Amino acid sequence: MENTERLIRTWIATEKDEDIRQISLEISADRTSLVNVVKGLGEYLTADEEDIRRKGVEFLSLVLASLAEDKINKQSTRVLSTFYCGKLEDSGTIIPALSGIQTLVKLPTCSALEVQSILRSMFVHVKPKTLVQSVRFVIFSILDSLVANHRDVLKAMGKEFLDGYVSLADGEKDPRNLIVAFAIARVILIEFDIHERIETLFNVTFCYFPITFRPPPNDPYGITTEDLRDALRGCLNATPYFGPLAIPVFLEKLLAGTRATKRDTLQTIGICLPVYGATLARAEARKLWNSLKLEIFQPTDSVNEEEALRTTQILVKTIYQTNGLSGDDADVQGLAREACEECIGILKEPEKSQAKPAAKILCAFMSTTPSIAKYTISQAVPHLVQLFHNPDEAGNRAPVLAVLSEFITAARDSLSKLSPHPVQAEYGMETEPTAPALTPYKDDVLGVLTVGLKAASSRRPALAGLQGMVATENLLTDEELGFIVHNVNQILEADPGELDDASDAVLDLLSAVAKVNPRPVEVQTLPLLFSSLPDSPPLRNAIPERVKILNALLALETLCVQAQLFETLVIRLTTKLDLICVPNASSLTPSPITEEEVELHAAYAHWVLTTLAKTLRKKVDREDPDVAKYIERLVPRIFNLFIFSALVVAENDGNEEKDRWRQRVSVATDPRLVKKAGEIVTLVVQVLPLTRQENYATLLYGALLEGNLESIAEGHQKIAADRRLLDTASTAQKDLLALFSAAILPLRKEVRPVVSEVNAFLDKVLWWCLTSAVSDFQRDAVFHLLASILNKRVDADRLDTFTNTLLSMFWDKEILDSSVALERRQHAIKAWTWVSKALLIRSHTLALQFTDKLFDAFDDGVIGWDAAKAIGDVVAIDNVLTKKHHAISRLLYAQKFVNHVLSRIIAGAKDSSKHRIQESRCQTASLVALTSLIKSIPKATYQHELPGLIPLLLRGLELPDTNIRSNVIDTFLAAAEGDSPESSLVASHAPTLVTLMLKNSNAAEMPSSKVRIHALKYLEKLPSIVRYDILHPSKPTVIKELAKAVDDPKRTVRKEAVDARTAWFRYHGST
Amino acid sequence: MPAEVFNPNPVVFSPTKGLGRKSELLAQSLWIDEPTSSDGEVDDVELIDQDEVFDLIRSIYDPEHPNTLEELRVVSAPQIKIEQNWVTVEFTPTVPHCGMSTLIGLCIRVRLLRSLPNRFKVDIFVKPGSHQSEHAVNKQLNDKERVAAALENPVLLDTVEQCLRDAGRRGLPII
Repeated sequence: MENTERLIRTWIATEKDEDIRQISLEISADRTSLVNVVKGLGEYLTADEEDIRRKGVEFLSLVLASLAEDKINKQSTRVLSTFYCGKLEDSGTIIPALSGIQTLVKLPTCSALEVQSILRSMFVHVKPKTLVQSVRFVIFSILDSLVANHRDVLKAMGKEFLDGYVSLADGEKDPRNLIVAFAIARVILIEFDIHERIETLFNVTFCYFPITFRPPPNDPYGITTEDLRDALRGCLNATPYFGPLAIPVFLEKLLAGTRATKRDTLQTIGICLPVYGATLARAEARKLWNSLKLEIFQPTDSVNEEEALRTTQILVKTIYQTNGLSGDDADVQGLAREACEECIGILKEPEKSQAKPAAKILCAFMSTTPSIAKYTISQAVPHLVQLFHNPDEAGNRAPVLAVLSEFITAARDSLSKLSPHPVQAEYGMETEPTAPALTPYKDDVLGVLTVGLKAASSRRPALAGLQGMVATENLLTDEELGFIVHNVNQILEADPGELDDASDAVLDLLSAVAKVNPRPVEVQTLPLLFSSLPDSPPLRNAIPERVKILNALLALETLCVQAQLFETLVIRLTTKLDLICVPNASSLTPSPITEEEVELHAAYAHWVLTTLAKTLRKKVDREDPDVAKYIERLVPRIFNLFIFSALVVAENDGNEEKDRWRQRVSVATDPRLVKKAGEIVTLVVQVLPLTRQENYATLLYGALLEGNLESIAEGHQKIAADRRLLDTASTAQKDLLALFSAAILPLRKEVRPVVSEVNAFLDKVLWWCLTSAVSDFQRDAVFHLLASILNKRVDADRLDTFTNTLLSMFWDKEILDSSVALERRQHAIKAWTWVSKALLIRSHTLALQFTDKLFDAFDDGVIGWDAAKAIGDVVAIDNVLTKKHHAISRLLYAQKFVNHVLSRIIAGAKDSSKHRIQESRCQTASLVALTSLIKSIPKATYQHELPGLIPLLLRGLELPDTNIRSNVIDTFLAAAEGDSPESSLVASHAPTLVTLMLKNSNAAEMPSSKVRIHALKYLEKLPSIVRYDILHPSKPTVIKELAKAVDDPKRTVRKEAVDARTAWFRYHGST
Repeated sequence: MPAEVFNPNPVVFSPTKGLGRKSELLAQSLWIDEPTSSDGEVDDVELIDQDEVFDLIRSIYDPEHPNTLEELRVVSAPQIKIEQNWVTVEFTPTVPHCGMSTLIGLCIRVRLLRSLPNRFKVDIFVKPGSHQSEHAVNKQLNDKERVAAALENPVLLDTVEQCLRDAGRRGLPII
């Protein structure tokens, strides 16, 4: 007891938490008791000074809060609650008394009696308006606990509780308290008998609507507008009793409110209406509709328009849900009917701007209830069809069809919305699928749409409508699909100039038909398209003919993704290819073959190959299972054509006529064609399963090394001789290696190269590149082959002999040795890049040894830049070593590489320890390496270093190489992504950037239009990422300088200049 | 928004001309999908033409409606003429009593002022016979002083900026 008194005394003097802890420990250990504490507090509790009394009660409350629940028995609870109720009367002790009560009401020993007495004295003595927020929060917490734990007691108190609650909650403004208050109110509104106090409760909840609270910046409490709004909505839609009172409030807010208020109101109406019920909705329908209509016809913005439509849907659903299944569909009364008639009245002028919202409303009706949907269609569709046929309205057919097509789409979409769970077909039972709502009007609509197709002006909406119909399940029969295809084909046949506008839509429609049923497209459309591909190409200046062919090919490419159609495509196009590239000797005219003729044919063949490749790529992306079979049907024929041509052109028998033919056949030796053909081969081989790849690899290597060319090249042309391509001297035959490379690089890592010694083979191809290859095309192809094998097989085939030779000899002899010719050294660096890349992607231990060597060449005056650029090329994303080509790649390899080299590059760019010439060379090379590296890697990998890099990049902008400059600007553009004026990376460099970018955007100073465009793009971006107060001094200069850029000789540059200048005109301080 | 709405329900047209010049692009080079050696670095000058000027103004919004001038056929490519350094833009108000005509003209002028090189002289007229106070509107629009004075008015300038907010779309749909 003495100890207790001592602790009380010290606490009153010092208010240290330690004393509270002591006391509660004592009580827990039963060395003292609550009674002792109260006794000990006696003199303080009755003291004259308010402050002392307050402290006394506070001490007790604190002790109470720190005690375990089981330390307070029923008796103490009783006594304490009476005690605290008494203290509520004293204005000096009310605050600590409330916090004591807060603890008390959570105790399991707190019974109904206590609850009632506590509440009663709170209702009488607590005046929330005189208390600060934190205390009011305590009040709400007490109420919250009571509602949670003693709900029945409160219910039994009836009106007394309701009135009391209202008096406590009335006028609350703090968001923290309101969140709790709204939660309490929701329970009360839902569970309590409130019918005698509806208006009072309505007043204390609806006075908060709409929520206009904006959290202050850096709000520590983290309560958002949305939190409050959602909590309030929970109250507003808690009881249908609110309905009659709420609707006028909603309507008023909708009329007078701002954009945000309107949105909130619309959403709230949508949430409340279903609760308020059909009867009320029906009674208020007219008023609601009038207000909603306004929001749809004169929307403040598109979001609100959408919300208003959604709310209208809910209104209609609420009204008609109850009698939705009555069956009498034709007779819809009330709002839906009136609204429908009103909208259809507006649709009498479908070309006017009001028609659009009217159509939107009708479309929205389609997704409400089935009977409304049916009714709407029965009103709107015949009206539109009739309007279309009306001769007075002939000029308005396009808008009529536009509305109609929107309708068809809405009807299609409503099908899935109205029946979310389609009736499952039972075993052995045929269930009739639900007929689409449009079915009764199908013929009329189809007729109108096909007529619409004929005129150019109404073609687009007609196509959209047909698209909607085709995509509606169970609507059209196969004959009707055929009918549509027939009509659409007529557009395809028409003049390409006229088609231009609608061609995409035409192809979309045909694709949609092919998805449902490919047959009509195959038998009707494809022959039409194939027939527009002539056997020989149009002349260079015959542009309309060329466009027609290209359009037909584009159409084929779009349509023939489907398996059946693709098969036809392959057969027809490979035949066409043979015809273009290898004509009969007898069919040639006696005139000499010109280069022009060869190029025209080559370009034509290239279009055909491109079409095949693009279609195939789409199929591979979709993972179509039928791609693999083209290893037998398509790939051999491609090899056949190209090998044949390459072999034939090298022959020479002195026969003049034969020579002419050979010249003509050289069409298929154009490297561009070989490259495209390679793409096709790669696409097919990459999808083959392992065993098929292994079999194919055997044939491939056999053909490449042993010369068994026939085994992979079955086809129309007779392959004349066996030839070992690696030993050949003819350029055309060397080009063929690209085709082999294309077939080898997508092989899986398990596929062994079928050669006696892989190390020696790689050695051989590497030397071939440096000594035999005559073009970048050949070299690149073989580097790809090399990299692919190295990447997949370096450990499996123990290729360390090869790599060690490279590291120990090749580097010094081929790259560093300045007596070697420059070109050869550059090629060697290229080879080095590919080898490093192959190892780097799989995070091989040797990789960094390879890349580190590159730094040694930085101070070489001749190849320093090449070596520096290689640093970036090594990690650049390429389309050779990819996952699709089964390359081995490890996660985050780029990140590791960047971590390894970036600091070294930065050091190099700043380093000034070496000799002067060396130093500047090294610095420049480092800058080049930096720009090349940054261009090649994802932003995330260098993000953290960016602030330090910016000064270096700015230096890079002054290097003379246009490619480097465009890389640097690209980097700035990438860095600007996600940058904001508040935390701009470039803020401190902004004026310099402006000057440099202006320089690079001026046609007089920067010849490359690409760089100018990029610089202008960056200038456009700057105002949005740098604060106005930093850049405003530059504004006049920029606007003046850009006046020159808008006069750029190139149209694309002018476009960017205009956009950039507009952005600067709009650049203002926030006022 | 002004209190009086001059044309509450104007006719809306679909875009007058195609967006891309696709066939032109297709036809430009013999080879597709292949980088050509010249790759845009050639020195041939592409002059500013009718279509380019139209692209600049087609997506200006009508002050009264959420539609663009192109959709309301207030402006069209054939109504634009270019002779060396002289651009003439003619526009058609949707109704003859349209009180917004000067504002529309002002928007066009501001857009062209900002987007065309300084060497151009720009004249803006309403289509002859399409407006009841044609002469007054034309005079106002082509008077330098009055245009400058109008742009000093912050409220007016703000309205113009609003109409120009998506002018950079050049006929393309909003993304």
